Amino acid sequence: MAGDLEFMMGKYAARIPGDRCYATNHMWLKTAGNRYRVGFTAYSVRLLQDVYFLNWSIDADSQVRAKQEIGEVESSKAVSSLYAPYDGRVTSFNEKLLNDPSMINTDGYESGWLYEFETSAELLSPAAYVDLVAAGWEKTQQVIKGQMNE
Amino acid sequence: MAGKLTVVIAQSPGKNPVKRQLEESLAAALLFEPGIEVSLVPHLYDLTPDHTGMLFLKSVRGDMVVLSWLFPRAARWIMDRSGVKGQAGVSLLKPAAEEDDEDEENDHGDESAADAESRPDALGAWEVPNRKVYCIDLRDKADVEVYLEEIRRIAREGSVQTVDLMGWIQGSPAPEQLQRYLNPRVSSGAEVAPSTSGNGDGNGAGNSIADEPTRRRWYPVIDYSRCTNCMECIDFCLFGVYGVDAGERILVEQQDNCKKGCPACSRVCPENAIIFPEHKTPAIAGSETGTAAGLKIDLSKLFGAPTAIEQAVLERDQELVADGREAVGMAVGIPKRRDHAPQTRDALDDLMDGLDDLAL
Repeated sequence: MAGDLEFMMGKYAARIPGDRCYATNHMWLKTAGNRYRVGFTAYSVRLLQDVYFLNWSIDADSQVRAKQEIGEVESSKAVSSLYAPYDGRVTSFNEKLLNDPSMINTDGYESGWLYEFETSAELLSPAAYVDLVAAGWEKTQQVIKGQMNE
Repeated sequence: MAGKLTVVIAQSPGKNPVKRQLEESLAAALLFEPGIEVSLVPHLYDLTPDHTGMLFLKSVRGDMVVLSWLFPRAARWIMDRSGVKGQAGVSLLKPAAEEDDEDEENDHGDESAADAESRPDALGAWEVPNRKVYCIDLRDKADVEVYLEEIRRIAREGSVQTVDLMGWIQGSPAPEQLQRYLNPRVSSGAEVAPSTSGNGDGNGAGNSIADEPTRRRWYPVIDYSRCTNCMECIDFCLFGVYGVDAGERILVEQQDNCKKGCPACSRVCPENAIIFPEHKTPAIAGSETGTAAGLKIDLSKLFGAPTAIEQAVLERDQELVADGREAVGMAVGIPKRRDHAPQTRDALDDLMDGLDDLAL
């Protein structure tokens, strides 16, 4: 799509669509009515690889603070807690993913969305997100290699 | 032959039927094991120092196996704090996940490291009697037989050691000394805790020790094999939980001042020595390694995880506000040595601290 950006993770091109905003914790936020739909960016998904399991530790319609733990994800390569990107309210979850999270891998920018979120925080533009990813890429690779070698 | 091996089953705090079933099957099976005396106590973590369950544990003088729904480190140091001390016996039981993932050699390497009280500048336990306490996590396996096998193995290990020890002291003890040595139980133990052996109807395992009610508690447990007495916990906690003993050693002085659910001091501890046995994060609850997920990478940082200090400050502020006090954020008790390698203390530091103490 026109206006999309790319970030090269080695030989893999992570697509960063131009039609939405981003958060520093590698989530996209796309306007849906008066709230946002939130999902993993292609960068996140590439690091996770196949998602096996998704679990939310808060109920739908919960007020959250930035960096509050809200759930966890397990994939073929990683296990991780998930955190709220900003202060706001998680209004609902994508129920379809709870039984079968594979849409995160196959259609992560559309039907693989994670939850709906209300926030008044200032979000990152696609270009700002690409800059952020580029700035952190060396370190991310080191972290991953470091953990793998432990 | 050695004296009887005491096996204590510490029950799970809830009424989970699966857990109860395992406890009861195990207790029933152990009643028929020769050389073993089995008792039940309530959830270890909830026992106050004067609960009959803890008094019973204190009264046991010989080797002891304690099975609980806790990480072995947590169980060991909960008991240590209440005066139930002993050398850490090494159980060969491992969590199922670990056994699948790791090769044998690795496993054993970990054990000996854990057993050797690995940190050179740690306080270590003190006044440890010459007997072994084996802590086993009942979450490791679902099969009663596996635990029975391990308890039998420990019983054999105990009797072998006794023979060695007798050879080593090369004494010729008087009959009553020998008797005391072989049956190290003190009589008061039998009074507070009627033994279940000889009560072979299988239902006798649920004896009076487990019946005294407990309430749910929440407090930090210090692992002195890791604690270096750096005092960062006492600086950080604003609720008066920590204190020092006559020897200036850090201790959890007012357990019940602690705020339920708050693990903040554990996060600021540079040695990961503070255990909250009921916390959902294994590293805080006292797991040996910290990651339950084996070889997978952890992307939490990438997805916005707060640093340990940020998290601790959030948690502390929450509790302060709940108490009607002002949130203090990063203004109070933030560790200064945080960015350095854990073992930065050296002789000079000790000297400087010594001088500070003199000035006081």
